[in-house]
Amino acid sequence: MDEKVVVNESMIDFYLSERTKNNAPFFDEVANAKGEIFPHWEKLSKSFDTLGNEQMDYRSREVAQQLKDNGVTYNIYGDPNGKNRPWRLDPVPMVFGESDWEMIEKGLRQRAVLLNHVLKDIYGERKLIRAGLIPFELVYNHQGFLRQMDKIRIPGEHQLIQYSADLARGPDGKMWVLHDRTDAPSGAGYAFENRVAMTRVFPEMIRENHVRKITSYYQTLKNTLIDLAWQNKENPRIVMLSPGPGNETYFEHAYLSSFMGFTLAVGEDLTVSDGYVWLKTIEGLEKVDVIIRRVDDVFCDPLEFRQDSHLGVVGLMEAIREKKVLVINPLGTRILENPGLMAFLPRLSKHILGEDLILPSVATWWCGQEKEKKYVLENIKFLLIRKIYRNDSNRTVYGGDLSESELEDLIADINTRPYLYAGQEMVKFSTTPSYIDGKLEARNAVFRSYIVSDSDKGTYHVMPGGLSRSSPDRGVFIVSNQNGGISKDTWVLGQERRTVEKQKKVRITQQVENILPSRTGENLFWLGRHIERSIYTVRLLRIIIRKFYETDDETNVENDTTLVPLLKALTAITGTQPGFFKRKTLQNPEKELISLINDTQRLGTLSQSLQAFISNGYAVRDRLSLDTWRILESISEEWENMQAKTSVSEINRNLDNLIIKLMAFHGLNIDNMTREPSWYILNIGRFLESSMQTCAILKNILSAKHDTETEKTLLEFVLMANESLVTYRYRYRSTLEIYGVLSLLLIDELNPKSVVYQIENINYHVESMPTGKERYLNPIRKKLLEITTLVRLCDPQHLATIPENEKSRVELRDLLGRVIYGLSEASNIINEYYFSHIQSQYSFVTTEIPEV
Amino acid sequence: MRYRVTHATKYIYQSSASLCHNIVCQSPADFPFQQVDKYDYSIKPEPNFSSERKDFFENNVVYFSLQKAHKELIVKSESEVTLTRPNWMDVDPAETPAWETVVKELKTPASKNDTRQFYLESAHVTFVKGIREYTLESFTDDRPILEALLDLNTRIFKDFTFTPGFTEISTPLEDVFENKKGVCQDYAHFGLACVRSIGLAARYMSGYIETIPPPGKPKLVGADASHAWIAVYIPEIGWVELDSTNNLLVNDQHVRVATGRDFADVVPLKGIVYSGGKQKMVVTVDVNKIE
Repeated sequence: MDEKVVVNESMIDFYLSERTKNNAPFFDEVANAKGEIFPHWEKLSKSFDTLGNEQMDYRSREVAQQLKDNGVTYNIYGDPNGKNRPWRLDPVPMVFGESDWEMIEKGLRQRAVLLNHVLKDIYGERKLIRAGLIPFELVYNHQGFLRQMDKIRIPGEHQLIQYSADLARGPDGKMWVLHDRTDAPSGAGYAFENRVAMTRVFPEMIRENHVRKITSYYQTLKNTLIDLAWQNKENPRIVMLSPGPGNETYFEHAYLSSFMGFTLAVGEDLTVSDGYVWLKTIEGLEKVDVIIRRVDDVFCDPLEFRQDSHLGVVGLMEAIREKKVLVINPLGTRILENPGLMAFLPRLSKHILGEDLILPSVATWWCGQEKEKKYVLENIKFLLIRKIYRNDSNRTVYGGDLSESELEDLIADINTRPYLYAGQEMVKFSTTPSYIDGKLEARNAVFRSYIVSDSDKGTYHVMPGGLSRSSPDRGVFIVSNQNGGISKDTWVLGQERRTVEKQKKVRITQQVENILPSRTGENLFWLGRHIERSIYTVRLLRIIIRKFYETDDETNVENDTTLVPLLKALTAITGTQPGFFKRKTLQNPEKELISLINDTQRLGTLSQSLQAFISNGYAVRDRLSLDTWRILESISEEWENMQAKTSVSEINRNLDNLIIKLMAFHGLNIDNMTREPSWYILNIGRFLESSMQTCAILKNILSAKHDTETEKTLLEFVLMANESLVTYRYRYRSTLEIYGVLSLLLIDELNPKSVVYQIENINYHVESMPTGKERYLNPIRKKLLEITTLVRLCDPQHLATIPENEKSRVELRDLLGRVIYGLSEASNIINEYYFSHIQSQYSFVTTEIPEV
Repeated sequence: MRYRVTHATKYIYQSSASLCHNIVCQSPADFPFQQVDKYDYSIKPEPNFSSERKDFFENNVVYFSLQKAHKELIVKSESEVTLTRPNWMDVDPAETPAWETVVKELKTPASKNDTRQFYLESAHVTFVKGIREYTLESFTDDRPILEALLDLNTRIFKDFTFTPGFTEISTPLEDVFENKKGVCQDYAHFGLACVRSIGLAARYMSGYIETIPPPGKPKLVGADASHAWIAVYIPEIGWVELDSTNNLLVNDQHVRVATGRDFADVVPLKGIVYSGGKQKMVVTVDVNKIE
């Protein structure tokens, strides 16, 4: 029988007995080899037992839901579906007891001090190399040794501001350092989100176990950045430089910057002139004082480092030299991300600090030394082989995983360039329980710590917690998010150290006015346009699909007097010609309809518009409220769901849902966006699009001549497509006629759906922008004035008549054509006026090869 | 020997450029056996911001940026230098130490980082397959280093065909080695790879050389060019300069501008320009003896 085995044992007992049964060779975080639970896990293990399977299943789902609701995602490189993957969090945390942590914290602080000392020396006098304590090749051959940074220092003793170390517990129960991360360590934002989710779902456990808070880390970081600024110390402008929405941890960049009050920017948003760094905003250029970067060092300035980088800021290095901007971590700190260096740290610690290293590094043999190289080559199958620097073209390999020929190539390269290689022991690091399929299973885990310079005290602050990750499968040692690792919150147990916290100077930071980078402004503008476009397209599609099903003669669509003009109008409005203008397509419209909905590759389709809406939304996620973000996520889900459908009848359901969600997005923005430039620009986009859509609908459905009955039906559709049917009935209380419809939708000053009203709305929002209300009308408002006047002066009666010897309402068609054209001109002017200095097209020029 | 050098670079942009950032490395640095009597440079249009500094290799570098619309950019350097006969011209190559002892000495922390950094690979100088074997044909056991170097220099000169237009700066060294064709940069990069592959320190030299017109023809204005060669470290003597493009030991006719690991460290003028259209570049160099 295949019945589920009922486990009578408690979860923890089961976990422990499984370990013994499997004869697990690893150290365990919960209990010793005899199965005796460590004191710091006692209370916790009881709590998990008390909760039991059912509750744990429930809470596990809650955790996932919590993260989903908060929009916590990450991207996987090289996977077309890898964007915005939900962040995974194990409901069982990694736990450190008080005394254990005290040692770890001390060790991390010591290591930060030591590395800082080494860093200062490398970019200063380089005495340590001369003294023979660091091999010369380890520094000069490392791609992170940026000669441009030589002798350049930031204020204070600490040159290493942010530092992370990846730690794991070895078989001896001691914590070992696996890697040092000193360039632009990531994950602190995820650590925070993990804690938020866990606090919601396990509040009692966090309280009872005295889990220490991690917020002090973020405050210290901010204080230090402000304190170190060269310029404008009172109120520095801090920018977080991100590689952009395609980056693995973009969520975190958006999240941390909005949480910490930094302006999120990508390289294109910044420019260097007069030696200063400037942020391009819709109001012009704003000086930048501090950059906290998530862009790798050599990508930061294509003029002086990698020419192929499009993530950096041209001239940034010069601004650093001139001390006009502070960049954290300073460029060049990646020299410390150097596995070869690990082999020399114990000696350096003795020499510099006069102390033994508290946290040992994983055993490392640097091949630049004969003896060590020999050892590595002899044991290559049992070692991890790493280059002394990381880049996109080299990966850590396990010798045992390589084929004979791969191994041969590797050995040859080690012999040619021995100093570029280090062999490392494959640590069998400890296991900790993970909640998997209703059971606690033992998984190997790695813990990433976060350390930041506290410039007030001149010491290093260690986050009492961090980001742990466990392997998805049993006995896997290389753990990363990219290969499916699951994150864990990290709990440090013990009392808060209030005495220390009390001394902290409370810094009063003035509210930095929320400025809008031009690129963000452009994203918001297109976000506004695409949401309206999506809404109008969905409405039209629903009307048409409903009509399609009502048609008596399904086989004869091409002769249907109302459906044909509607389908043709749909083609014209979406700009997807020839479409329904082809008789053949009309005979079997379903295929074309599905393509108009789901074909992302085709210009003008609903799918394209939704995709543009979502990607623009993603690019401005630091500007959207959490709830707004959730709706955007749910629109994204609905869209994906719709993509899988193959029949119009199925899709109809998605369209119904979409319209509600799109409207909700709208409603929430109205409710919670502050009335400032980002809101205005979003609305300029919205109203521009909706006025264009309204005109396009009127032009393409009502210009042609139809018999009275058909016209009535079409008028009804036009009103429905503009959400104005009820208004019309209320207003006119009569049968539908074109005069009334045109009046209501074109020139009615009180109808929010009329073209005049919508253009007035664009005008209002332009006027509210920083330079909107000046002595003379700006070019946008001039253009809008021209268009509204054109519409206001029209005579609906005149437009409604079909002149003799004409087959259609030429006047109407002509007027609407001119309005639409005027609006697209306005769109160009808006682009020019607010976003034009985003010019980012540049090319590299260099002297050609002289020929002698 | 005294020389006057004029080096002018002109960029012409099809559509007007709005912003550019540039780094110029054309001002002769301090070298033994060379005295800089005069140096001046001009940039048109006038830059909005500029600064001068010495780089990691002690070269003179100017950074400048222009943030106004321009359709043309002219950078002009003028220098006057006095060259004297280097000490290595009077050394008997057979009397120099065996090359292995130099390699050994370089490996110890006792020798300076500034020297040692030049025996490592760099962006354009990589240890391609077979290069060490090629070099060892000249560097036989215990051979005096300068003798071996001169032999290598001659071999490169003979094995390679000077072929303008065959390579560009991004051409990998493998291709240069395989086809044995190129211009002075390729000769220099290849020579550097050779001597570094056996553990010697060698650096890239950028500068100028006077061209001699064919007999009976007048010298053309602007027809000279910048040049590249290498310098190898020999204890007691210093950085001995060799020019394999011309098969000679550098005497007093090479005007030195800058030195580095390879061309990437000493690009005479590089920049980033924000302009939509295409661009054209004209470089003229004049090297004249001052009598």
